Amino acid sequence: MSMLSTSTPSFAFLRSRWLGCPLALMLTSTWALAQDKRWGPGEPASDYGYRFGELFWLITTLVSVAFALVVVLLIVPMLRDRARPGHRASFDHGKSLHDKRLTAVISIITFIVLDAWVLVIAMKDLREAYWAIPAAKDPQTYKVEVLAQQWAWSFRAAGVDGEFGTPDDILTTNELVVPKDRPVSFNLTSKDVIHSLFLPEMRMKKDLNPGAINLAWFKPVVEGEFSILCAELCGFAHYQMFGKLRVLEQGQFNEWEAEASQLASTAFDADDTEGHWAWDWQE
Amino acid sequence: MNTTGVIELHGDGPVNQAPPETGRDRVNATLGMILFIGSWTMAFGTLFLSFLVLRDKIAVWPPAGIALPSAPIAGLATLVLAASSVFVERGSRSLSLDAGSGRKASFSALWITGMLLGLGFALLQAWLWYDLILAGRTQTSGLYESLFFGLTWVHAAHVVVGLFLLVWALVGSKLGRYGPERRSFVSNAALFWHFVGIVWLFLFLGFFVF
Amino acid sequence: MSSDHIHPEPTTFLRKHVFSIDHKVIAKQFLWFGLIWLGIGGIMAMMLRWQLANPGVPVPLIGGLLFPRTGGVIDPATYNTLFTMHGTIMIFLGLTPAMIGALGNWCIPLMIGARDMIFPTLNMLSFWAMFLGGAVGFYSLFVPLGATEVGWTGYPTLSTTVGAVGQGETLWAIAVFLIGASSIMGGINYITTVIRLRCPGMTWMRMPLTVWGLFLTSILNVLFIPVIGSAMIILVLDRVFGTSFYVPASIMSGGTGGDPILYQHLFWIFGHPEVYILILPAWGVVCDLLSFFARKPAFGYRTSVGAMVVVTVLSALVYGHHMFTTGLSAMLGESFMLLTMIISVPAEILFFNWLHTLWKGSLRLTTPMLFAMGVIFVFGLGGLTGIYCATIGTDIFLHDTYFIVGHFHLTMAASALFGTFGAIYFWFPKMFGRMMSERLGKLHFWLSFFPLVLVFCIMFISGYAGMPRRYYDHTSAEYLRPLQHLNVATTVSAFLLGVAQFIFVFNFIKSRWWGKTAPQNPWDVGTVDWTIATPVPHYNFKTIPVVRCGPHEFSNPVLGPDTDWIYQTEELPG
Repeated sequence: MSMLSTSTPSFAFLRSRWLGCPLALMLTSTWALAQDKRWGPGEPASDYGYRFGELFWLITTLVSVAFALVVVLLIVPMLRDRARPGHRASFDHGKSLHDKRLTAVISIITFIVLDAWVLVIAMKDLREAYWAIPAAKDPQTYKVEVLAQQWAWSFRAAGVDGEFGTPDDILTTNELVVPKDRPVSFNLTSKDVIHSLFLPEMRMKKDLNPGAINLAWFKPVVEGEFSILCAELCGFAHYQMFGKLRVLEQGQFNEWEAEASQLASTAFDADDTEGHWAWDWQE
Repeated sequence: MNTTGVIELHGDGPVNQAPPETGRDRVNATLGMILFIGSWTMAFGTLFLSFLVLRDKIAVWPPAGIALPSAPIAGLATLVLAASSVFVERGSRSLSLDAGSGRKASFSALWITGMLLGLGFALLQAWLWYDLILAGRTQTSGLYESLFFGLTWVHAAHVVVGLFLLVWALVGSKLGRYGPERRSFVSNAALFWHFVGIVWLFLFLGFFVF
Repeated sequence: MSSDHIHPEPTTFLRKHVFSIDHKVIAKQFLWFGLIWLGIGGIMAMMLRWQLANPGVPVPLIGGLLFPRTGGVIDPATYNTLFTMHGTIMIFLGLTPAMIGALGNWCIPLMIGARDMIFPTLNMLSFWAMFLGGAVGFYSLFVPLGATEVGWTGYPTLSTTVGAVGQGETLWAIAVFLIGASSIMGGINYITTVIRLRCPGMTWMRMPLTVWGLFLTSILNVLFIPVIGSAMIILVLDRVFGTSFYVPASIMSGGTGGDPILYQHLFWIFGHPEVYILILPAWGVVCDLLSFFARKPAFGYRTSVGAMVVVTVLSALVYGHHMFTTGLSAMLGESFMLLTMIISVPAEILFFNWLHTLWKGSLRLTTPMLFAMGVIFVFGLGGLTGIYCATIGTDIFLHDTYFIVGHFHLTMAASALFGTFGAIYFWFPKMFGRMMSERLGKLHFWLSFFPLVLVFCIMFISGYAGMPRRYYDHTSAEYLRPLQHLNVATTVSAFLLGVAQFIFVFNFIKSRWWGKTAPQNPWDVGTVDWTIATPVPHYNFKTIPVVRCGPHEFSNPVLGPDTDWIYQTEELPG
């Protein structure tokens, strides 16, 4: 466990069981409070991210109202209907036709307001965005094959020629470079165990299953550097399986792509069978 | 358990003498067994679902060019197990027909025949495995072998348990623990044995027919 | 298996307290067993929280003892073991025995007027199978390459030899299998008992709702535990015998391979009903306790029963919502989303009935009542946040983050736990013949309630902020570092929650041996179990009772002004 030594503070006094540990909690708390704090996922950087945000806050509003209602209905009897001498509960089995109708009406209303409303919007989002995977033929679509393994991400882009499995394929590890404002389409699979590609700023997540290819896509709308995390437990270094996502303007991106493709072709080694893991693009 | 009436727990009489089963007791026992079989149907249903899902991943079914388990032997095994079930069921029913008449002979003969046929099935099953292993195919050889060995092993474990129950019922009847008056265990053992047979039928159909 | 004669009361210690076939003794065995494991699982949770707030700092007090190799620090592999075993223990060895084992064994025969479970020997075997499962699980912590590290869900191929070497994972699968066998035995027993041993007059619609909850849970146990049993058998075949059910061809050294996603389907076909297995008894208990202490009939008894039945039926049809990011087809994904939303309707009906039961009641805020109301609050939070998780559009981001952790802890863990606590406080007097301290009980409730809500609500924020679960150290990734303050806050709340449980332990032990002697019916409740003497005599009922009214006839005007309750064995006047 070599990574231990890196995360263990070297202050020897911290190892004293009685004194050190409460002290450590205080120190980390103070440190954590002194850090830049974040209370949400940050600004979305993909077009889907905005849909997520709207849906999330819609649900939050609905849920808050519903929960407030529950709490009120819980607290009022607690304050008003306490047992006391001379007080008797009202006798009601709630089995009259009126009660049954009331139950039905209230559950239907709750279902429509809480569930059906959300469902309709979610379906619209899914059809318009999440499942509308861009066509591979479309030259706008930037295609990336992702092969995960314990504990690294390998990305393969087709390079300038647009064909996978050719010497100019751009292979990167733990770093993905994509153009802004163009749909990025993924083919995802894994070498060993299940991983999950999590792009928090893009609000995107998809599992990488060994033995099968999963599809996913997103459209970055903001330039910059973003995170890649693994969201499916994949062994003891799961928490360190992260990478970097760089979104570049189209012009900059073209420069980068040309250079990377050029480098890849120069360094291409025909005997390195391990390195040739590209597959036929799946749609 | 005595579920009705007044009980006098601290009386003088011996309280642990086993009275004959009532019809109510038999219904209780059968209901418990049916629930158990329902539960186990889900277990084998899961295995069979896995079989169907995974079978879909094998391009040619049954796989070509490799040694396969022998269908004639499996067919024979199916017939033997079916015959075994018939004898066991007739043995179990002979007990209720005998209730009151005191006879026991027909039960033993039918039951032992059923047991021997069950043992015959186990031997045929072993032959199937042995054949395949001789041809160099084991559970690690591929998905087909994984399915075949895995599922038949689990089934065989139940055959062993079933045979044990049949023997236990026979010994019990010889000792006078089970008989026409107390036959729930016997009929439940028979039920379990039928269940084992039906599971095999599905395995047979899955591997050798469809 | 059916023992149809009366045994004399056992006299030896072994037959009386260890290998007893008396449902009351088995209930207590399950209770002690469950509470001890809840304690172990809870300590594991505390260690997890310590690590998350103070990554790489030695665990105080017990760290040096438990992890001498690293000087008290939890290393990543140990961390994975801890959360895997925390989940497994809490679900299979904590809540299952404490809720279903103890409560089911205690309540079912007593509340339906039976002398024992219908298959007493099977009942005993059920406990010992669970005990064996616990022993195997405990043993697996000490095998050379360590216990399982792959999460309680045990997804292949991480859980096959591809990702987990050594015996730990195999032993875990065997333990789960044994505990499952125990649950099936218990389930068969409960169902048959309820169907066959209800006393005269105890019609289906006069059963206490606790019994309904336990009955429906048993049906789910009998139907869906075998699914995980088979999934575990296949896992063991893959791990030990080298088959390739779950290992795809791309990983096999040659030949054809299986499908790791198959396991996910099998696991969640079991796993989602398991959520309801744990929550249905709690719902039943809450339905009853609210009525008992609001001194009001349970509002809409029949609709409550109907709602629970509908949940039972639907429970296996929604499992796909655990797999939205796995790569389900659009059609499957949308179907599961719709079905998941539909299953919220019966839960809404239950909430409506609960709140209506309280309305215009005459509330006695005893400890069991507080816990029952706590379940409404906590389950309300958990249930409502389920909408985020059921909606694919939000779930793809929230999946496998702390949002999910908060959600399922509130719904199935905290609610079931509060239900269990409520039930323990309520039946303790009948069980042990002594009263638990009300003062300490209320203190326990309030000191548990606030930290508990805080712990899981902060998790909602962390999850929304994108913090993935099952991370050893959130400070290692740049994106997650600004979330560390949330981790610290969660940990502080979790410690408060943990400390509050010592009040319960103290109260339980003190009351068990030194508590005030309990009267026969301290709560003025009319169900059949309170008609008999405390302590409950051998075989419970000398004469099988005859039930003449429902369990919730509180404040019925026909009872006259002097009393507001009536035993189920009494005829309603007039």
